[in-house]
Amino acid sequence: MTHTDMDPGTLANVQFRQVGKPLTRTDAPGKVTGRTPYAGDYVMPNMLHMRVLRADIASARLVRLDVSKARALTGVACVLTADDLADRTAATDIPGQTGQKRLDTDQPILVRDRVRYFGEPLALIAAETRDIADHAAELIEFELEPIPGVYDTLEALKPGAPLVYGRDNIVAERKIRKGDVEAGFARADLIVENTYRTPFQEHAFLEPEVGLAWVDENDVVNIRVSTQVIEHFRPIADALGVPHNKVRVRGALVGGGFGGKEDLTVEVYLALLAKQTGRPVRLEYSREDSFVGHGKRHPFILTYRTGVTKEGKITALDVNMIADAGAYVFLSPYVILYALVAAPGPYRVDNLNVFAKAVATNNMYTSAFRGFGALQACAAYEQQMDEIANTLSIDRLKLRRRNFLKTGEPMSTGFVPPSAIWTEQCAEKAWAGLGEPTASDGPIRTGRGLACYQQSYGRLTFLHDTSEAWVGVEMDGTVVVRSGVTDIGAGQISALGQIAVEVLGVTLDNVVIYNSDSAVTPLAGTTTATRALYMTGNAAKQAAEGLRARLAERAAQEFGVTPDEIDMAFNEVFVIDRPEKTMPLVDLVRTCAAEGIHRSELAIFRAPFGDFLDPETGQGQAHPDYAYGAHAVEVSVDVETGEVEVLKSVAAHDVGQCINPAAVEGQIQGGAQNGQGYALSEEMLYEEGRLVTPSFSEYLMPTAMDMPNVECIILESRSGVGPFGAKGIGEPAMTAVAPAIANAVADAIGVRVFEMPITPERVVTALQQRDAS
Amino acid sequence: MERETISVTVNGRAYERAVEPRRLLSDFLREDLRLTGTHVGCEHGVCGSCTVMMDGVTARSCLTFAVMADGAEIETIEGLGSVEAMHPVQQAFWEKHGLQCGFCTPGMLMTAVELLKANPDPSVDDIRDAISGNLCRCTGYQTIVESIQYAAKLMREDGP
Amino acid sequence: MKPARFRYLRAASVNDALQALAENPDAQILAGGQSLIAMMNLRLVKPACLIDINRISNIGYIDEDGDGVAIGALARHNDVKHSPLIRERCPLLTEAYESIAHHTVRNRGTLGGNLCHADPSSETPAVMVATGATLMLQSLRGQREVGAEDFFLGTYETARRQDEMLTEIRLPGRRTDGWAFAEISNRHGDFAIAVIATTLRIEDGRCEAARVVASGVGEHAARLEPAEEALIGGPIDDARLDAAAAAAAGAVDPHSDSHADAAYRRDAIAALTRRTVRRAAARCD
Repeated sequence: MTHTDMDPGTLANVQFRQVGKPLTRTDAPGKVTGRTPYAGDYVMPNMLHMRVLRADIASARLVRLDVSKARALTGVACVLTADDLADRTAATDIPGQTGQKRLDTDQPILVRDRVRYFGEPLALIAAETRDIADHAAELIEFELEPIPGVYDTLEALKPGAPLVYGRDNIVAERKIRKGDVEAGFARADLIVENTYRTPFQEHAFLEPEVGLAWVDENDVVNIRVSTQVIEHFRPIADALGVPHNKVRVRGALVGGGFGGKEDLTVEVYLALLAKQTGRPVRLEYSREDSFVGHGKRHPFILTYRTGVTKEGKITALDVNMIADAGAYVFLSPYVILYALVAAPGPYRVDNLNVFAKAVATNNMYTSAFRGFGALQACAAYEQQMDEIANTLSIDRLKLRRRNFLKTGEPMSTGFVPPSAIWTEQCAEKAWAGLGEPTASDGPIRTGRGLACYQQSYGRLTFLHDTSEAWVGVEMDGTVVVRSGVTDIGAGQISALGQIAVEVLGVTLDNVVIYNSDSAVTPLAGTTTATRALYMTGNAAKQAAEGLRARLAERAAQEFGVTPDEIDMAFNEVFVIDRPEKTMPLVDLVRTCAAEGIHRSELAIFRAPFGDFLDPETGQGQAHPDYAYGAHAVEVSVDVETGEVEVLKSVAAHDVGQCINPAAVEGQIQGGAQNGQGYALSEEMLYEEGRLVTPSFSEYLMPTAMDMPNVECIILESRSGVGPFGAKGIGEPAMTAVAPAIANAVADAIGVRVFEMPITPERVVTALQQRDAS
Repeated sequence: MERETISVTVNGRAYERAVEPRRLLSDFLREDLRLTGTHVGCEHGVCGSCTVMMDGVTARSCLTFAVMADGAEIETIEGLGSVEAMHPVQQAFWEKHGLQCGFCTPGMLMTAVELLKANPDPSVDDIRDAISGNLCRCTGYQTIVESIQYAAKLMREDGP
Repeated sequence: MKPARFRYLRAASVNDALQALAENPDAQILAGGQSLIAMMNLRLVKPACLIDINRISNIGYIDEDGDGVAIGALARHNDVKHSPLIRERCPLLTEAYESIAHHTVRNRGTLGGNLCHADPSSETPAVMVATGATLMLQSLRGQREVGAEDFFLGTYETARRQDEMLTEIRLPGRRTDGWAFAEISNRHGDFAIAVIATTLRIEDGRCEAARVVASGVGEHAARLEPAEEALIGGPIDDARLDAAAAAAAGAVDPHSDSHADAAYRRDAIAALTRRTVRRAAARCD
């Protein structure tokens, strides 16, 4: 069920023909008939098959690596080790088009002497068949001498702790110093302090990493790969030591990303071996490879100390965050920056200290995952709000209302978000959406939880983000959109089509979208950071508008009116309010073609460009804008077994403007599932850095029987900085889910489990501890 | 290398191929027959993406050796229908947004087809139970459930 | 990963299979393959030779056997789950199937294969022990009967000898009136953290016989005799429930793994014992 609320003030001005409707997606027919080729479905003649050999100890010195037997095996085309690669590294820094790069952020492509995490690659094998590659891997002899590792962030910070790399294990530190925190605490009637822990999370996209690379007749390395970021052609070229224009990344429709295909995965390995052998090379990760083949969500330890008045007004907040960066840097400095900025949540806190630290360990490296640090902050600040409400005996929604950041007010970094802040409206609707409470029954106790959030959309402004799109109209009136954007399943390309046809007045079945080819489609930037619709949607809109203006000018000439009197809809061009003055779009296009009028437009959209936040105070603009909303759930908890069931789930988000409401609901429902697994069942367990849950039968994401229906309440403030006033929904959909569940469990059983996931075991332990005390 | 010659009918077409006994049915379909509509997501029988129809009932093609399918009738997503003539289940997943990334979709469709054959008017609980062995990471399953309900309606209306 | 190479033999009859087993001491039987092939794909096991019994006709039966049921080696899980005969004569097994795997896996997987696989967290061994089932093992040397209690010896370990095939499972007629199955798993249809299958006979308000069988908390399914003793000899009242739950928890020595730690498993056994005994007793009325 869906309700849509709009700002009545803006409603009157807007009438859309294509946008805002649940149109069927352009990519769906191929997907339901099995015709869509995913990256793993491509093969080439004379193709080799690859295998990555990995370390089976998390912290060790590589004392011996002998690949001679593997090389001698019939059918083996190539075996590469670090010795064959000079000193090449693969950039682990933020991906994309900005060329930003810090020191010490790169991971060696293959282990030279030091293994820092379980599964780190030792050698690459290419062979005639996958079986031969597997056999060759068994013939490689290697000796790892274990050296003391560190697997816990607090241990890693202690003096004398084993060093993962560098001088200490601190990867990055960020802070906010705002107002006078001491004075704020002095004014408080009560100070509440708690520490919350959040876990690793695996993206668990259904399609494991896969790609195919070949060198073409121009000596260009082509890589067909499942990725969120085709702009990786640059770091790949750097890793190969070839010019940037000698690498071409061609995406495919991606079988799920969630941030896990944001960093490089198989690309560099493929490129190296294609280059080395001169033959096409294919590499497909098994599920077990995938579990160790890409970064995870950062586990956080978050300590919140909040000063409040008796009435529940926050007077001061002091936050300390420690994130496990794992064995390499990857996006950790940015993840903690997101967490830092999000620390107070959607609340007005004028006296604020935040300190965030990313710490290296010999665990799996951590990087991007839907929510990107801001989600972990939400897990803490929303549980803290409930703890405060309980301590003060104030209604939970009332406490939040007293503190909500309002439209036009400055957030944690002092920046005033340009759009509307409708957290309160969302919270009220989500909470009310739970309806009548379900009664407890014997050992089955029910409870309710609410969580509100603030989540950015668009990349960090200091990255100077841009996006390009090209829109053209063919001689028969059909439309072509070209843009590098990758589609990871959320309907990214379908939305571009919907925007372009809205502006050009044609129907969605008249558009074809070409995407994700780094050499041919205009570069759109990454499908990350909830930016695809915001950035590329704006670019597509600009391109379509540019084209429309040119067509309208010619039509105006034809009809003897001014261009602003021209409208275009349903493949017709006409003068507004004069039904007799109309012509098919196709006729106008042919006229333009005959006269040499340009029938296409390339546009670039620039996000606001900013500087880095002030390093001492953390003040400034971090992101272009923010989305706000709330999630409410009702759960039941079996107090004998600790089992938790989510009974009701209601989400209310201000998405600015729906481009496609069905796609928005899809994001919300999928976000609810990701968040529910994160809160309750998904657990990556490591023993001395070795992953002991490397399969879907051990890493438990929710099934159809675990998920409730999610009621989606969509609000449209039309105030966002995306196309037509849209905000983003990809990441926001997930952010508040887990703390809402945690709050509901605490409400049900009267005691809080401070560490996620809230497994049956932890529930029982918490109940026993409560009974013991 | 020891090979066995097998005869299988896939989507109505007969094939005869020599395969190693350890060849998984999923690899046989994808690599030997180039029917890549069937997806492989975990290869230990948990995710359900590789689900195909074997002699009228669903099977995990990653937990079936191709030699075990000797003489069998296999149906995959490619055999359900085409863009021009979709099976009602395909039509429903398309119209009701029963997919996002689409990777789990082949398995979901085959499972839905089996369910609707046995139960033309399933409840939401029936549907959730039936697809509980098929993991999806994008949708939260809700639109999938709605798609299957809608497919049931289409099929009942079409009727025999 | 992919399975390692193996020799493939296809049996056309039970005799064929027994012959192949006798001739190939390194062989393993391939029934539904839903556990075996998964483990082969992960290369956790590398059998040198597989004997495929899926083509043997007439061994997928579920038939009356006196007042009990005889189940053939190839009866698929879904056939057993939906069998009216089993629902009538061994409803405990029907109830257990609510928690076993997912539809597609049950299409192929067999009860016999599941029992021979002897996964310590599997549900069906607990039901076999609780109902006192008999397993028929056959080889070229002859046939023998093994009671379920004596069949499960350890993790993936049974009394079946290498050259034997489990040809039939015999469920006795209902000797007890009350029955109940309950399990805790982290996710529906997945590996059990703890399982209890209970059968009770109550006469004149007095518990005369009881079996309380646990799975998932030891190397194999096993009766919790102290819990049974705590139940027998009086009415199933709160005191007996408490005693049985405590005795059950005391009788298991569970392990810790990625799914749950030992303390939780012990607590779970107590909760499940209470739950199943209560439900089984109610069914006696």
